[in-house]
Amino acid sequence: MSLIDIAFYFFAILIIASAYIVVTSKNIMYSAFALLFTFFGVAGIYVLLNADFLAITQIVIYIGGILVLIIFGVMLTNRITGVDIKTGTMSKFQIWMTAILCVIAAIGLILIFTQTNWNTALSPTKASTIEDIGTLLLTDYLIGFEIASVLLLIAIIGAALIARRKTN
Amino acid sequence: MLIDVPQEYYLILSAMMFVIGSVGVLTRRNAIIIFMSIEIMLNSVNLTFVSFAAFMGDTAGQIFVFFVMAVAAAEAAVGLAIVLALFRNKKTIYVDEVSLMKW
Amino acid sequence: MIDEIFLSQLKQSVDLFLPETILVATFIIALIFDLIYKNSRYLIAVISIIGLVFSGIFLVNQSTSSAAIFSGMLSFDPFGNFFKILILLTTIIIVLMSVFSKELYEGGRKTGEYYILIVGMTFGMFLLAVANNLIIVYLAIETMSISSYILAGYTKEIKRASEASLKYVIFGAVSSGMMIYGISLIYGLTGSLTFDAINSAMISSDISGLTLLIAGLMIIAGIGYKISAVPFHFWTPDVYEGAPITITAYLSVASKAAGFAVLIRFLKVSFFDSTNYANDEIWTLIGTIDWQIVIAILSVLTMTLGNLVALWQTNMKRLLAYSSIAHAGYILMGVVVMTDIGVTSVLIYFFVYMIMNLGAFLVVMIIANKTGNEDIQKYNGIGHKAPFVSACMVIFLISLTGLPPTAGFIGKWAVFTAVLKSEYIWLAVVGVLNSVVSLYYYVKIFRNMYIRNFEDDSEIYEFSPGTYILLIILAVPTLIFGIYFTPLLDWAESSVKIFLGV
Repeated sequence: MSLIDIAFYFFAILIIASAYIVVTSKNIMYSAFALLFTFFGVAGIYVLLNADFLAITQIVIYIGGILVLIIFGVMLTNRITGVDIKTGTMSKFQIWMTAILCVIAAIGLILIFTQTNWNTALSPTKASTIEDIGTLLLTDYLIGFEIASVLLLIAIIGAALIARRKTN
Repeated sequence: MLIDVPQEYYLILSAMMFVIGSVGVLTRRNAIIIFMSIEIMLNSVNLTFVSFAAFMGDTAGQIFVFFVMAVAAAEAAVGLAIVLALFRNKKTIYVDEVSLMKW
Repeated sequence: MIDEIFLSQLKQSVDLFLPETILVATFIIALIFDLIYKNSRYLIAVISIIGLVFSGIFLVNQSTSSAAIFSGMLSFDPFGNFFKILILLTTIIIVLMSVFSKELYEGGRKTGEYYILIVGMTFGMFLLAVANNLIIVYLAIETMSISSYILAGYTKEIKRASEASLKYVIFGAVSSGMMIYGISLIYGLTGSLTFDAINSAMISSDISGLTLLIAGLMIIAGIGYKISAVPFHFWTPDVYEGAPITITAYLSVASKAAGFAVLIRFLKVSFFDSTNYANDEIWTLIGTIDWQIVIAILSVLTMTLGNLVALWQTNMKRLLAYSSIAHAGYILMGVVVMTDIGVTSVLIYFFVYMIMNLGAFLVVMIIANKTGNEDIQKYNGIGHKAPFVSACMVIFLISLTGLPPTAGFIGKWAVFTAVLKSEYIWLAVVGVLNSVVSLYYYVKIFRNMYIRNFEDDSEIYEFSPGTYILLIILAVPTLIFGIYFTPLLDWAESSVKIFLGV
């Protein structure tokens, strides 16, 4: 077992375990903190896959942005009424049904992933992908970049509009 | 260094994340937890993209991840704003107490 | 790496991209004006209309051009142009409708952002109509969806609006998550996300069928959510009921149009043999999966469920929501055929559907302005209180049922002929049976308006002249296209050409 293997299994177990806590924890704050480890684990896997720049972006956007947003959401919706932070789930029967469905889905996906011939063409890996990403974003994917900017503008306007209190 | 861990392992990891995220969406009733589960699903998509990109030696796959991240951020912002607006009206964030209309 | 060729291509792309650029410019200008003139009631609506009309002028000018722009990310062709014009017309009508909406302006609500977001949503739908790459499809769908999540909850003090909005955003996020997962699988299979590259990868190499099926179904689920095809429709009635009525009308026409545009382009360009596109009527699928059967099943489920559930609805918005689900089913029949005739019929049906559905929603809005809600009981005796509005409603309802001499008949006729010419005769039978069922609930509205007893306080409803003009604008074409439909037919036939890349 090489160091890479160990790192992979470490991050994989971290991701799965923390993701499991996110969806099952009764305390919403625990969920939010477990989500931190999921995001962090994914960033680790990115490093293993040679996506150094993405790993940093993952930490900046997901942990620095989205997670903070979610925690704000938790604080705002709980503090106003002072109701408990506990969250409920569904009835036993529903849980079993979903569990069975999801196990089937997981087995199906794993079968697919192991059976399929994926498009692979191993080219020499580069030390860093930043330069390629920058060039591609401003040439081939320029339009995507522009759409994303409009999308974010719409989201900012919309979120501010919906979240603000009625002023007049 | 990539050869050490086969591609399938990364894909299976992402599939498991996707399924866990789906479980969260299906079983939880707190809107904020549902949004967290959706973030897990989107992260698993990103992981799939990155692993394909790495094994194809194609940077384009990483660009897609950027776009997904931008969308995820936008969606989270708007979604949480809507949760706040609903909370002001109904004082609840449990989706099954949102029962004015039938599901 | 940025060389001369790229720059010249970029310049050509930017030239063709002018209508969309105008939309974004309108979006930003309206935003600035909204900040300066905070309390103006109609200023932003006027600015939006001006921007939309300008964009429309350039759109009509480029209706024959056909090119791949922005490195093949978008393909401009008559097909996309048809949908863009359709979306633009819908947007203009919706903005005009919104000006008369009482619900929207209630309590001195600021509406600047409302019009701004409508323009932003139009931008997303324009891109969806021409997107030729799955990641652009995803971004465009999200641009459209995020605007519509906000618009659906725009009247945020009203509980049902914010609930509708929450349901919409949760289901929307999940379905787009599914879609992007499918997209990532397609990327793994073919190594590219551009439609024509997917096509050539499928021709040249052996793609495993099961994986492709799962990936394709996930993408269709994402698009199906937008066109509210069964079983991805569950959000539709609630969101349509909860959202402001103008937005309901908008979602039922424009976002469906954009969804259908991308569905047809994706299926056609990616999964059909591109070597005999040009002159052949028969389209051959590549790969082992029969996508036509998948769409046919979706179509049957969609129209049957839509029509059957519509039978016992008592709220006009909900009723029209199920009716619009059913109509999506009819349009999917045209998609199943997939030949040029099939696509023509989809285009014709969509244009007709736009006019009649917007008309029906306009009537519901006008009446809700007077009575305060959309309950079907409130329609008792409307035929006597508001004779002209009711007469228009009757035209729209006849058209929605698909009876001559209205435009709705032409739409149904086009779709059924297309299906009969293919090997899916059984589909046409199901479609006709469904039309018969739909007659029942449309007649129910008619009955309430004219025949049902009503309290005899016979006050005559007065409406503003603007609403009358809008009604006439929608009612007259519904009749005219039922009799003189050649221009529509010609336009649709010249718009079936899908650009297939270089």
